[in-house]
Amino acid sequence: MAGSPEEVKKAVKAFTFVGGILFIFTIVTVAVATVPWLDFGGHGFDMVDCVIGLLIATFKATLVMLIFMHLNQEKPLIYLIYGMAILMAIFCMGLIGWSKSDPIQFGNEKKADGFYNAEKAATDVH
Amino acid sequence: MEIPFVVNARKDTGLFNSKVAIWLFLASEVTLFGGLFSGYLFLRLYADYPWPERTLPVLPGLINTFILILSSVTVVFAWAALKLRNWRNFQINMWITLICATLFMVLKSIEYKAKFSHQAVRIKTEDHSVKDFAILEGHLNKAEVKDGKLVKAKKNEEGDYSDNAFYANKIIFKADEVTFTLTRHFYDDFLYEIVKQAGETKFELVEDYMQVIIKEDGSREEEVLVNKGEELSAPAIEAAEEYFLGRRSDDAKLRTRYLKAAFAQRREAGDKRAGWEIAQSEEFLALQAEQNKEIKLRSFSAPATMTFKATEPVILHLDPSVVVSRSGNQLRLRDDTLIGGELLDSSMFLAVDGIDFRFTAQRAEEKGISAESAIEKSWVLKQPELKKVWDAHQEWLRAHVEKLDKKSDDKGLVGEDRYVPTENEKYRVNWDQMVAYHRLGYEGIYDQAATDEGIQKPGWIEGFAGADHYDEEMSKAFVKVTIPRENIGFESTFTPRWNTYYAIYFTITGLHGLHVIGGMIVLGYYLFFGRKMYESNPEWLANRVEVGGLFWHFVDLVWIFLFPILYLM
Repeated sequence: MAGSPEEVKKAVKAFTFVGGILFIFTIVTVAVATVPWLDFGGHGFDMVDCVIGLLIATFKATLVMLIFMHLNQEKPLIYLIYGMAILMAIFCMGLIGWSKSDPIQFGNEKKADGFYNAEKAATDVH
Repeated sequence: MEIPFVVNARKDTGLFNSKVAIWLFLASEVTLFGGLFSGYLFLRLYADYPWPERTLPVLPGLINTFILILSSVTVVFAWAALKLRNWRNFQINMWITLICATLFMVLKSIEYKAKFSHQAVRIKTEDHSVKDFAILEGHLNKAEVKDGKLVKAKKNEEGDYSDNAFYANKIIFKADEVTFTLTRHFYDDFLYEIVKQAGETKFELVEDYMQVIIKEDGSREEEVLVNKGEELSAPAIEAAEEYFLGRRSDDAKLRTRYLKAAFAQRREAGDKRAGWEIAQSEEFLALQAEQNKEIKLRSFSAPATMTFKATEPVILHLDPSVVVSRSGNQLRLRDDTLIGGELLDSSMFLAVDGIDFRFTAQRAEEKGISAESAIEKSWVLKQPELKKVWDAHQEWLRAHVEKLDKKSDDKGLVGEDRYVPTENEKYRVNWDQMVAYHRLGYEGIYDQAATDEGIQKPGWIEGFAGADHYDEEMSKAFVKVTIPRENIGFESTFTPRWNTYYAIYFTITGLHGLHVIGGMIVLGYYLFFGRKMYESNPEWLANRVEVGGLFWHFVDLVWIFLFPILYLM
């Protein structure tokens, strides 16, 4: 981490640069969501736009963590603390995502091989 | 005693105390917000209604993002200034940070205020194939009750509404009597509101509320606890309630005592069966029948309700959210209070700035009916002014579909890859589209939409916080309708009551806002009370500012994800 005056002055330049990038990528995020010719994937909001939006957000967040929060020069203990928390958060979100592929099953929706029968489930009235 | 490692780092970890502490705290914050983001994901993936996609005005959110990024930069500049021992620079940057934080909260409150005043109604039509489920959004207009009739309130010469005017979303009821249940406590606010609205008219107790006194010799005597004709008041009901609940409790104890005695008697008689077998045995049931006669003699009985009659009928205006059920001659409030009388015209007056048939379409598709036929039969399209807007929208949609087809042809897209209009475009008319159609006089919409420029919707600045009902020109586009109470399936402002989207929106942004305020307090403390420490131990202050800054960056980090998720997706 920046300690000497020279290092701090150098860091200030990096902060300004990163601030600029964050501003630019905020505009990019909005443009991708609102400007018609920047609409990737199908027409309107879809999974492609969702992934692009989240990738830009992750990139911006990474810059904030590495440069503003000095994680690029941090000690191993901090990586351990913060890394565990991020893993925990990702695990929470993963659980929700995985639950989508594990819907509630009723006996008559199962195929002979025991797997979920989506076609049958869609036509059944419960 | 000097605290170690507040300025210099420990050799083994390479860190000073507060650095470890703040990172542990931030780790807990990551799990907290991670849980909330998971909650958002869950609610969105499993929503059984059309999710309000890209529904918030982007500009306030965008400005707030810029503000937070700027403040993140200035807070590290402030830390760098301390490292370079430049107090003046530290002050300037910290001031900018605090101003940014204040601006952020101001914009947030503008956004919240718009949500609190924006009304939504889910329409219900009994003879409709999917019970309608069209949604109208807008602002409530004011009404008055004149000669027992609901009429539109008019402004006086000073441009104000009279004191009797109210936002036309009330249950209007001509009340003759009010019955309070003593089995649960009444809501004080409901009672005070009824008394307040009754004004000069009094509600009087219909008959004496009696209490039973058991004398020393075991004889019983009845005595009046609250007199007939007693005026409706909280103490009058509370006295009866206290008596009623007390006696009910006594009765319960009495029954338990007898029950225990009956079991003991069976055991003494040498019955060694299990308790549940004894309870079902003929001997035990016979014993209980005998006991019941005694219990009846010794138990108290008190009426569980108190009815107050109005000296003359009173017209009450009640918030729909306090009424759980209603019929022509009775209302049941949330605290089980019953109001008897006559339901009057309780229509809602709404200036509509959004028509949404997505829910109708979703329900129609679930039932295997065509969405268009379900929409066609909606109550909404039976209102000529709304029909005019919807027809204009269909014109726009026709031109839009043609444009998308042309774009697909140009790119050589086939099958599922071809561009199709979104559900929002097909089934929803947004406020900015309503304004655009109105500006064109609802005519020539197709021709205008088919041009390269398309229809001219209000820009981001014009619609800074959404539909502006105070703008004279713009408000003319918002169709004024009267919605009969029987056609209101559900209504709410844009608050957590309306749907899970607003529930999670207010939860996460509210918690984030509290973090901004917390950060302001900490950073403000360094700015206003840090001078002494700067003079005695500037490195310690720099460490403190670094730790406060880390928290501030985390607040920015959360917003970096919140902005696209809530405003753009």
